[in-house]
Amino acid sequence: MKLLTIQEVESFLKSIDSDYDVKVPVNLHDGTRAIGKLNEGSLAIAGGRIPQKITNVFFPQMEPVLTTGSEKIELPKPLSKSLFVVGFTAQDADCLKFIDRFYSENYRDDIYFNKRDGAVIVCVSGRCGADGEFLKIAGKNCDLELISDGRNYLLAIYTDTGKAVAERAGGVEADGSLLQQLQKESDALSNDDLELIQKASKLLLEEKVPDEFWATISDRCIACTSCNLVCPTCTCFDVFDRKFDDKTRRYRIWDSCQLDGFMREASGHNPMGTENLRTRRRIHHKLAADPTRWDQITCMLCGRCDDVCPTGIGIKAVCKEMVAKYGSA
Amino acid sequence: MKKVLTTCPYCGTGCMFYLVVGDDGTLLGVEPSSEHVVAKGQLCVKGWNAYHFVNHPDRLTQPLVRKNGKMEPASWDEALSLVVSKLKETQAAHGNDSVAFFSSAKTTDEENYLMMKLARAVFKTNNVDHCARLCHSSTVLGLAATFGSGAMTNSISCMEESDCILVTGSNTTEQHPLIGSRIIENVSKRGAKLIVADNRKIRLARLADIHVRWKNGTDVAFLNGIMNVIISESLEDKEFVKTRTENYEELKKTVANYPPEKAAEICGITPEEIIEVARMFATADKAMIVYSMGITQHTHGVDNVKSCANLAMLTGNVGKAGTGVNPLRGQNNVQGACDMGALPNVYSGYQKVTEPDVRKKFEKAWGVEDLPGEVGYTVTTAIDAAAEDKLKALYIMGENPMMSDPDLNHVRKAMEKLDFIVVQDIFPTPTTEYADVILPATSYAEKDGTFTSTERRVQRIRKAIEPIGHSRADWEILCDVAQRAGYNSMKYNSAGEIMDEVASVTPIYGGMSFDRIDQVGLQWPCPNKEHPGTAVLHSGKFSRGLGLFSPAEYRPSAELPDSEYPFLLSTGRCYFHFHTGTMTRRSQLLDREERFPYVELSPEDAKELGIKDRFWVYVATRRGEVKVMAHVTDVSKKGVLFMPFHFEEGPANLLTINALDPVAKIPEYKVCAAKIRSAY
Repeated sequence: MKLLTIQEVESFLKSIDSDYDVKVPVNLHDGTRAIGKLNEGSLAIAGGRIPQKITNVFFPQMEPVLTTGSEKIELPKPLSKSLFVVGFTAQDADCLKFIDRFYSENYRDDIYFNKRDGAVIVCVSGRCGADGEFLKIAGKNCDLELISDGRNYLLAIYTDTGKAVAERAGGVEADGSLLQQLQKESDALSNDDLELIQKASKLLLEEKVPDEFWATISDRCIACTSCNLVCPTCTCFDVFDRKFDDKTRRYRIWDSCQLDGFMREASGHNPMGTENLRTRRRIHHKLAADPTRWDQITCMLCGRCDDVCPTGIGIKAVCKEMVAKYGSA
Repeated sequence: MKKVLTTCPYCGTGCMFYLVVGDDGTLLGVEPSSEHVVAKGQLCVKGWNAYHFVNHPDRLTQPLVRKNGKMEPASWDEALSLVVSKLKETQAAHGNDSVAFFSSAKTTDEENYLMMKLARAVFKTNNVDHCARLCHSSTVLGLAATFGSGAMTNSISCMEESDCILVTGSNTTEQHPLIGSRIIENVSKRGAKLIVADNRKIRLARLADIHVRWKNGTDVAFLNGIMNVIISESLEDKEFVKTRTENYEELKKTVANYPPEKAAEICGITPEEIIEVARMFATADKAMIVYSMGITQHTHGVDNVKSCANLAMLTGNVGKAGTGVNPLRGQNNVQGACDMGALPNVYSGYQKVTEPDVRKKFEKAWGVEDLPGEVGYTVTTAIDAAAEDKLKALYIMGENPMMSDPDLNHVRKAMEKLDFIVVQDIFPTPTTEYADVILPATSYAEKDGTFTSTERRVQRIRKAIEPIGHSRADWEILCDVAQRAGYNSMKYNSAGEIMDEVASVTPIYGGMSFDRIDQVGLQWPCPNKEHPGTAVLHSGKFSRGLGLFSPAEYRPSAELPDSEYPFLLSTGRCYFHFHTGTMTRRSQLLDREERFPYVELSPEDAKELGIKDRFWVYVATRRGEVKVMAHVTDVSKKGVLFMPFHFEEGPANLLTINALDPVAKIPEYKVCAAKIRSAY
């Protein structure tokens, strides 16, 4: 396994830029970290999860679905170069695995797979989180992984796709002891959040959380929709058309189950027509409905909704309140 | 794809975010700035959708000129030549003040500065105003009179450190969501006391320690009642009153007439509620008042504002963090439009047009002579003047009076009487229907400049995409008009150069420059290039020296319910739409959320009238009648109707009354008499 300095990581990324559409964590104008091209800002691999959901490279906030001209319908074309995306955390990689499944198991979403097929997924982990936090080593669900020892990065290879491109990386060979040591640190990370969300899921599945609880949460919800928009496993979208003189273009945009219009019927009736029901749905869907439908909890604990919620009712915060109130029953 | 840092074009909170630009130059989304001092990586629903309207096919892309009653495409040259010649002809025939200019709280500081410069330096009239007249003109005058500066005294971060927050006439979580969320966080995590004094059961009311549902328009009696209790229970801050204020005896005399029993009777509440509020507010270590249109949009709006200021001074809650009188400005740049002097009585930085020395200063700076010294028409009085044939031509930039002004039938008559109307905007509106010339402007995403937020923070907007069609930035259009009118000192290579000029003539903006606010905006006053900006006003000393207690007597609203019109109608905004809907109704998710004009009424009233939720109803006042959808909700109190004014097909302002505050000339949008009936 190779050990790369950050300069060698950057050189490696630049060396493949002509063959791939390389997307990496960068510092934008005011220092906000985001996924962008190498020339969009200084490289910002360290610093923890990217504030926005990194899966938006495959499922962006808005994208064309089709364009109709006078005679034919044009569909979005596959990318000319495959994406090479750096910056997934272990939790992000879990999310990606789930939405790959979501978008392919029944109806295959071509627009998604136009970008997803052939993409190289690179996780970042180790001693490079925000404020010194150790980021869990993914070890799976990605092609490559950059594992930080606090200064340099081990380049772990997990797939043939990853192997083909990693050959171009510089660096020096590292013996296995460093990875072993880092893996030990990763394994020692707390499982408290996982236990919390499993307990909350159980409470919901056993229907032990009364409606009054959701009223106390929804009172604090200002319907900003951020929880949905930053969630890597939220997959809902709305479709609309823009009619120009010479063409009509159909787009899809991220939707939010926290909006009344999300489920409102044409008649005006809404089976999800109260704030309480919508707030309940957001949590219930990931923690009770999905375990039934997909056999897995679909909150991977990435933490984004807790960061972005202006009133402190992200999924972990709500689970904490839920378990504190009803967990002993 | 690229990401461009800019400031939200909706409310005055001033969140910064990145516009996500696709390779074809279409906006594809936003990403919050995690480093921004206010946004902190968060946004409200309008912020998340603020990219959406920009590429809408309805955008105005070509100048249009009325020919034989029809709007026909024209070149910029033809359109602007016509604008200048018509305005000049009008002035030659009817005098300089026969022309008025409506500036815009949606446009940048630089553009507002240029609009007032165009009106004053080029067309020699002080007839320049903008929609602050309709929202916070009472704040500007009321706080200037009491404190010496008509702006929010404190910063948004102060919401996090107050011990008691009195929210009155502000639906904060809907209209300034990231300020409302700070109040929620402070209450739920830090345990701050929350008093909501509002007729409507807004979200904050659900979390409040006390929710007072007084009769709309009885604010002065309520606030005087509180001050009466504070003084009679000796809870006032004696040291502050003694050392920092004047005219206390007059206040004492006035509020002595409002014992809680009397005040409660006027307000339709119990004396205990007044006593409880007074004690909670006066005994808190740091207490603040947060208000918005519920205080300002009354015929006694200035009195309401002064009474808020009186209460803050009486309890010593001015000049330190976590306190203050905090009017929340509704538009992205309504603070800046005021700061830039897009007002009929002041130049930028609130320098009075009536003072000869000030005029001389601007004459020198602008290279002109004979700047007018008479205060001009306001937005509201200009419409009245047009109806009376005193005003002949109107240049409207980014405003929509045919939706936003009270009593639309009155506005329509005025618009029909005008000889010449120019409308500069990004979309067709009910106002452009009356235009003789339509000038297509760029949106916030296609130009550089600054917006000044409610906390007086001057922040950058940046050009993310090329202008749509043949549209041009407002500042470029205004400069072109000035040049065609023969004025050569309105030429700039960039918006930054305009800000440099603003800084040179505006003491409170003296230290501003694009370089200094490249990443984080600065709060005025910022008098020089070394000054770090000012988070809290009136610290140690009021802008006017001593704070002036300005007691006010309760005056009833202009039109109260009676047997013929038994309901009280109040108007405002909803969470998902913004003002006249020009942008939000062209944003997919926002428009989907509230697709129809509506009226909120209480379940009790609905039951009595046989009206069910989502039934169609007619709401009528003495001005007219509109058909809207009923929203039956306990947010509304029995006897009170609430209508948002976003909907062209059910315009609330067809119903509102053109009754103005005598000083601020702000209309009484919050109170008029109405009736309601089922449409079936």
